[in-house]
Amino acid sequence: MEPKFNLNRQPVSDEEINSKKDFGELIKQFKKQSIEKARTDENFFKNKKVTYSTIIAGVAVLCTVTYFAVFNQESSKKIAHEKTITKPLNSKPVLGNKSYISPPVSKLNIPYSTYRVKTQKGATIIHNNSSKIIIPKHAFLDKKGNDIVGDVEIKYREFHNQADIIVSGIPMTYDSAGVQSHFESAGMIDIKGYQNNEPVYIKPDKKITVEFISEQTADKYNMYFLDTISKNWAYIKRDNSLIQYKKELENKNASLTHQLTNLNTQNIFELEKQIKEIPQKLEQAKNDYSQKINQLPKITSPNKLAQATEGKPKFELDVDYKEFPELAVFKHAVFEVGAENKNYNPKVGDITWSSAEISQGPVKGKNYELTLKLKDKVEKLIVYPVLTGTNYEKALKVYESKFNEYQKLILKRETEELRLKNEFETKQATYKNQEKQLSDRLVKEKIKQAQQKEIKLDKDFKELGTLDKVTRIFEISKFGIYNSDCTNQLPQNATLHAFFITNKEKIHLKTQAVYLICHSKNLVYHLPNGPIPYNPGEVYSICVLANNKLYMCDKGTFATVIASHTNKILLTELDNIQDAFELKKAIGI
Amino acid sequence: MLLDAVHMEFSPRYHHTADMLLEEQMIIESAKQNPEHFGAIYDKYYKPIFGYIYQRMDCKETAFDLTAQVFLKALTNLEKYEYKGVPFASWLYRIAHSELMQLFRTQKNLRTVNADIGDLKHICEEAEEEYMEQYKGSLMTVIKQLPEEQLQLIELRFFEKRPFKEIAEIMDLTETNAKVKLSRILERVKILLTKTSK
Repeated sequence: MEPKFNLNRQPVSDEEINSKKDFGELIKQFKKQSIEKARTDENFFKNKKVTYSTIIAGVAVLCTVTYFAVFNQESSKKIAHEKTITKPLNSKPVLGNKSYISPPVSKLNIPYSTYRVKTQKGATIIHNNSSKIIIPKHAFLDKKGNDIVGDVEIKYREFHNQADIIVSGIPMTYDSAGVQSHFESAGMIDIKGYQNNEPVYIKPDKKITVEFISEQTADKYNMYFLDTISKNWAYIKRDNSLIQYKKELENKNASLTHQLTNLNTQNIFELEKQIKEIPQKLEQAKNDYSQKINQLPKITSPNKLAQATEGKPKFELDVDYKEFPELAVFKHAVFEVGAENKNYNPKVGDITWSSAEISQGPVKGKNYELTLKLKDKVEKLIVYPVLTGTNYEKALKVYESKFNEYQKLILKRETEELRLKNEFETKQATYKNQEKQLSDRLVKEKIKQAQQKEIKLDKDFKELGTLDKVTRIFEISKFGIYNSDCTNQLPQNATLHAFFITNKEKIHLKTQAVYLICHSKNLVYHLPNGPIPYNPGEVYSICVLANNKLYMCDKGTFATVIASHTNKILLTELDNIQDAFELKKAIGI
Repeated sequence: MLLDAVHMEFSPRYHHTADMLLEEQMIIESAKQNPEHFGAIYDKYYKPIFGYIYQRMDCKETAFDLTAQVFLKALTNLEKYEYKGVPFASWLYRIAHSELMQLFRTQKNLRTVNADIGDLKHICEEAEEEYMEQYKGSLMTVIKQLPEEQLQLIELRFFEKRPFKEIAEIMDLTETNAKVKLSRILERVKILLTKTSK
């Protein structure tokens, strides 16, 4: 049968091809097939021929063993004795059963710090100038439940970062109802107590408090205790340390803000008060000025003497000069009837009046009202003081002299008035200037206050967001390993079927453990052999344990591996590192 | 014949430097101990193997199933694999070829030949014949009538555009042998084409 011939068939897209790729399924099928094959092999041994052959071979082996047992009894006994004494008491078979806490390279493990505590006194231990271990008095019991007296040795260590986690060998996976997750750590502690190399126990009502200084400042962690019997972490409670810290910080900030506000308000209040005083001061200055002007001696111009007009009627009067001092200069003056007396009857001058009185006229100091009375008859006239003949000339001389004096006084007064005016205006300008300056300062002070508030708010915000360290409080009711962690799932977006080779010898490494180090979180994924999961865009480095040595693929190299879609990961042997700190540097965290 | 002079697309998926071959070998040795390490090989060759299989049939789903089968067989028999200085892909292609032949033995109707019009022109050029539109049908008939091994060579060389080195490795021939065989096939095609056209 001839095949069908297709011309220009539509190609299959890469997406479709990739969607069908399923390495997991391949492995599943492979394992299934392997199991079936193993069963088939098992059935092979059930075959009669095989069974008989096995029995014959067994008998032969048994004979051989018996022979050696009989003829080499002496030496055999000797070996058995040696084995008995070399085998440690209570030892459990450990072959193929790795310890639950298994440091990859023991020399790199975090060492314990040992502190000696007098149980009668209790103690507050400051660990490495940071964390605080508070031990109450009489806090310990021995294994029989008796109170411990004397000194107790406290062994303590801390784990802060990915390097510490790797070297510790502490499992960082958490199984919650069958769902396995990986711990992102805010820090772990390991605390133990001994007396004479015997472990001691903590009394239930005498919990030890550890104020652990954590470099992780987020508020998302829970506290766990490592149960080495059930081989899982046991949830204790939510880690509320940061909430407490935030409260303290808020209180502290509130107090600082209050102080700041008070200080600023004080300045502003003072300025506003000073500004408010300026108009009052101006008013006062104005009043002072007016008062001073008023206090200047009053200068009245001398009355110019009028010469008598011939033909106009005149009255001679006996004037009380005390009552009319201005008329003192008019000694010998007569009072001439003014032109305004239209209806003046010349006969009035012929009457002998019983009383004649003068009072101020319509033009003060200039004319007077003359009231003449005789019984019921009253005549009112407007009169002007005038001088006649030599009296006028004498009076003119006196007037001129007084007028000169008057002019001098006027000049003096004007000078004084000008001085007072200048003084007032200077004062006024000073106050106005002061008012302007104070207003400017007030505006600046208000801006400064707003800025200070802004800076403070900004600082507070930053302080909350970028705290360097946070104190996390562990309450220790039993010795062991505690952590403040939160759970993470394995990255799921991509996988890498990695193949590890050393960069020096270019040999393939059979890995004992693969640690995927997440750089954006304090997180290490301890991976089984197999594909490496990762999320593109995240920064990772890889640490590998092989041949009981640590190897490293730094973040740059790993990023290149991902970008170049290769599977080959070149590893550098970390042969020079001596402790976790050096591993941390090598990882680049 | 201009077989050597014709430009063929270089396939980095298949062709390897000495370092690449060594690296691949190390992955395989590692996968022999831990099948999980086979993932790198699977990722690298899944598409080419699928392409090889689908080139020879119409049913996409069967092609995907057969691809999965090829990798399962490869993984199952990985212990038996011995490095012979050629890319691991040649072993995978041979498994794929074997699987295809097994399938076509029972379901002959599944076998198809897939080509572009350009590929037919290329065959004419190689056979030193001027391509004309009326040749198209005859050429297709001639190709379909070729024995499986000869058809395989035509497919690998002209429809999949593989270099002789690769063809030789896939078909377990020497490079010269592959060239000679293809040259003879083209002569035969030319004769058949002349006959058919008449």
